[in-house]
Amino acid sequence: MENLRLDFLYQLMLTGLIIGTLYGVVGMSFVLIYKASKVINMAQGEFLLIGAWICWYFLIEYQLPFWIGFPLTLIVMMVFGIVLQVVVLRPLIGEPIISVIMVTIGLSIVFQALMKWLFGVSPQPYPQIFSSPTVDVLGAQIRTVYVLSIVVSLVIVGGFAWFFKFSKMGLAMRATAFDQQAAQSLGVSVKSVFAMSWAISAMVSSVAGIVVGVVNSVSSDLSFFGIKVFPAVILGGLDSIIGAVVGGIIIGLLEHFAVYVDLYAGIGNLQQIVPFYVLVIILMIKPYGLFGTRDIERV
Amino acid sequence: MAGAAFRPSGDFRTSYAADTTIFDDAFSRRFVISLVIVLALIPIPTVFGWGFDILDRYWMNLFVSIGYLSIAALGLNILVGFTGQISIGHSAFFGFGAFASVFIYETTSIPVFFCIPLAGLMTAAVGLIFGVPAARIKGLYLAIATLAAQFILQDFFARADWFSGGTHGSVARPLEIFGYSFRSVHSYWWIVLAYVVILFLAATNLMRSRDGRALIAVRDHYLSAEIMGVNLTKYRILSFGIASFYAGIGGALFAHHNLFVQVESFTIFFSILFLGMVIIGGLGSIMGTIFGTIFITMLPEATEAVTSFMRGGAIDRALNLGGGLNYLKEMAIGLAIILFLIFEPEGLAHRWRQIKAYWKLYPFSY
Amino acid sequence: MKRLSLTTATALIALGAGVAHAQDIPVGHLADLTGPTASIGVAYANGITDTINWYNENGGVDGRLIDFETVDYAYQAPRAVSIYQGWVADDVVAVQGWGTADTEALVQFVEADEVPYFSASYSGALTDPTGQGERSAGAAPYNFFYGPSYSDACRALVQWAAADWEENGDGSTPVWVHMGDNHPYPESPRVACTEYAEELGFDVANPIVYTLAPGDFTAQCLTLNEIGANYAYVANIAGSTISLLNSCANTNTDVQFVSNVWGYDEQVMRAAGENADGVVVAVRTESMWTDDNPGLERVRAIAGGDDYQVLSYISGVCSAAYMLEAIEGAGADGDITGPSIRTYLESQTDWVPEGLEGVCFPSTWTAEDHRGLMTVAVYRGNVSGSTEGREISDLMADGTMSLEPVAIIELPRRPEWIGY
Repeated sequence: MENLRLDFLYQLMLTGLIIGTLYGVVGMSFVLIYKASKVINMAQGEFLLIGAWICWYFLIEYQLPFWIGFPLTLIVMMVFGIVLQVVVLRPLIGEPIISVIMVTIGLSIVFQALMKWLFGVSPQPYPQIFSSPTVDVLGAQIRTVYVLSIVVSLVIVGGFAWFFKFSKMGLAMRATAFDQQAAQSLGVSVKSVFAMSWAISAMVSSVAGIVVGVVNSVSSDLSFFGIKVFPAVILGGLDSIIGAVVGGIIIGLLEHFAVYVDLYAGIGNLQQIVPFYVLVIILMIKPYGLFGTRDIERV
Repeated sequence: MAGAAFRPSGDFRTSYAADTTIFDDAFSRRFVISLVIVLALIPIPTVFGWGFDILDRYWMNLFVSIGYLSIAALGLNILVGFTGQISIGHSAFFGFGAFASVFIYETTSIPVFFCIPLAGLMTAAVGLIFGVPAARIKGLYLAIATLAAQFILQDFFARADWFSGGTHGSVARPLEIFGYSFRSVHSYWWIVLAYVVILFLAATNLMRSRDGRALIAVRDHYLSAEIMGVNLTKYRILSFGIASFYAGIGGALFAHHNLFVQVESFTIFFSILFLGMVIIGGLGSIMGTIFGTIFITMLPEATEAVTSFMRGGAIDRALNLGGGLNYLKEMAIGLAIILFLIFEPEGLAHRWRQIKAYWKLYPFSY
Repeated sequence: MKRLSLTTATALIALGAGVAHAQDIPVGHLADLTGPTASIGVAYANGITDTINWYNENGGVDGRLIDFETVDYAYQAPRAVSIYQGWVADDVVAVQGWGTADTEALVQFVEADEVPYFSASYSGALTDPTGQGERSAGAAPYNFFYGPSYSDACRALVQWAAADWEENGDGSTPVWVHMGDNHPYPESPRVACTEYAEELGFDVANPIVYTLAPGDFTAQCLTLNEIGANYAYVANIAGSTISLLNSCANTNTDVQFVSNVWGYDEQVMRAAGENADGVVVAVRTESMWTDDNPGLERVRAIAGGDDYQVLSYISGVCSAAYMLEAIEGAGADGDITGPSIRTYLESQTDWVPEGLEGVCFPSTWTAEDHRGLMTVAVYRGNVSGSTEGREISDLMADGTMSLEPVAIIELPRRPEWIGY
């Protein structure tokens, strides 16, 4: 193998980094819910989908400019997250894990069908948002929307850091995540913390959804992103926000490295399946991921 | 305790033996036995060509589907409902059983009759392998590991030409005993019914044995179970093995009914349906598994009937539903799962017990 | 469900409004209107229902009405089997099916029940009625489809590519690559087609996998650049083609995409805009909506208006029309049964359903060979401007989008290609 095609590898890795960041963003919103309310949200992919469709609707039907449609979408998603938590998830507090997982699965089926009903089954393109679809970054053509998504996710991560460190609500959320009963006895409204976490999660997901929508056009298959996020969050540790971002990036890089290997090995489909093998291996050797906290149980 | 005419209106069991009987009383035993006999009689006129059907093939096909699905769902219930492990990859094991049975037949030419249990054993072996992570992890992490198993096995089916025929799938032979082919759905019902009876009895028996109690102990409080001397690793992995065995048998029965197996059938959605059957039926209830399977199998048939009745009707026109009816149909499964979990978390088995209790106590409901 | 629905209908209204008349001809129609293939399935299903309705409104078939019901099975094979069993219990004489999932699951059932099954799955494995083909997977005597098989459509594109390279290439050996998901449908033509590409002197690269669900396919496009592919066959359905085209536009991938019949149509052109410019696609029908000929007048009558209909709609019309004419032909010769419909289909040569001349290519099915069509129209999609927020009909009308016929390929009917 005299020619290792390093330029190709470099471009792949850069793509992997970007896609990985996107996994990280979705992973982050996934972890947020888990951290606050110990719920595995199997409908995370549908959150992306709903966000992408709503934004698309604002831009196409009402011809709103992006800088109005985008914040509007975030507001709608916030309300959506709160309503969902209050109406569907709240009655399930205290039920076994399997029930809560199944409810989110049920929700994903319902939303999937609902979105197809409301917006149709054919993929819809987003209008041109940026004057130039790609920008030149470090010698590779990167889509503007990805650059935007990285900037937005950096802002989100920074915002989270501030929020959890300094704001009262953030403190309450951390307290709840740490010990629900103790937090409650100290006057934290656990109910509103739960609702808040779903609201934020829905908003952050919709950002990712819009980015994916701009790149691929919106269709119901977009929700597949929700599955891809599992390897990322397990790698990072289910309850670590930083872990989700790091895990996402690693999975993104890994997927694209798999493409590189595949070119030589010709095994096929490595990109899709490698993350799941990695997931199993991590669970075997380091079940709580890179940054997750270990459950210590006392009888 | 009581004779056939009177049933006790409370829990009057006084010995361990009475506590572990399969049927509460003679009446319910006779009821179940006669139900099985009636079910076994249904295909007779069709198979022997008496010129009429008791139930036509549409219904028999549903019966057969409910049969093999309930076997696989029972396996999942043993895993989820009795041992408290979560699996989101059950359909992959179901699929493995289907492919394995065809594979065994194609490579060894053993009669299909024996391929089915062998496929169950093979699937159990695979289940044991995938169960190994369960020795170390539990709860949500385990759920996600099984999700990975789903995708890994699906990828394996699409890849392994030697085993599954790759993406093209493989053609299964109909089951034959002494040259009699159980190809028609009516005659195949006997095979499925026999497996259902045997495997459901086996599961009921398992649950009243030492091993069964150990599984339940692992579910209820694994630390206490360990302290009482239950080998956690063994039972966690074992429950995966048992669940996979049931899934494998179910899958093999599916293969020789459908006569064609292809990777596309065993998606994550199918796994979710299995979970739906177990939850709607009632976690940790053997009878409930059948109710849940019937519910999930009949739901699309029923919604189809309702929507095709509504289509073009007054409600359709008033609300301008049109094509939306199809989406309502698709939503029905999701809604059923959500509504059951919110309003009837213990499943249909619970409702069934209430109905039984109502009649038991009739007319005095206290 | 049909049985159930009939029972419910009678039970609820007891008027028999929905109950079929005894002399109606029962036919089944499976469609995916809400499932994963709905984005291409709806147009095709509309083509079929509109056609059957049109026949019913215009005197029916052989003086009798078609009693049909469109059932959405959401691409779930077990649902398809269950629905089918209900139909057989109702004595349907033929079924219009849909994709790979339902068609392959039902191959053995339709053979045992002798019900002709018209699929929109064009897998080469369905073209061998006897199972004698050199490389065929088995017999499929009751499976029919209107159109070239996936393998043949791909071979036609190989042939077109060879001619194209002759004309526009730089004289080197062109590189052919198959792109598709690791799934039954995209995989179906892979081996057959790449073998033919090798035969015609292409360098065949390792297949590139990209998912049926749309995603970011930058990695795949970079791979295309890296292996220097000249012709990339896209084997997935429309949704993932859109993503692929968008991704490759950003990596400056210079490759001629050639698409299977389900991978590229007016919807893709609209959704991917200028990125979809220049893709070459195999087409099943002789003309498209914007053409003008007497056959298309019939199609417009069937569609009941001037709303634009995509390529697969017209294929749906042809598929249904062949079935209806075969039913009529069988009725003229005797009883209408599955076997008599099959006999009629296999007895005709180079025929087109009455009134659809110039729309459907003349097809021939025989008792030994179910490759109805060896003719493949090759079109090129042109998109010359922004498609943003506009409808297909406008875009086609003002020429922003157009589908331009570039070749009609007649493939040799090689015996070793049967069932493969």
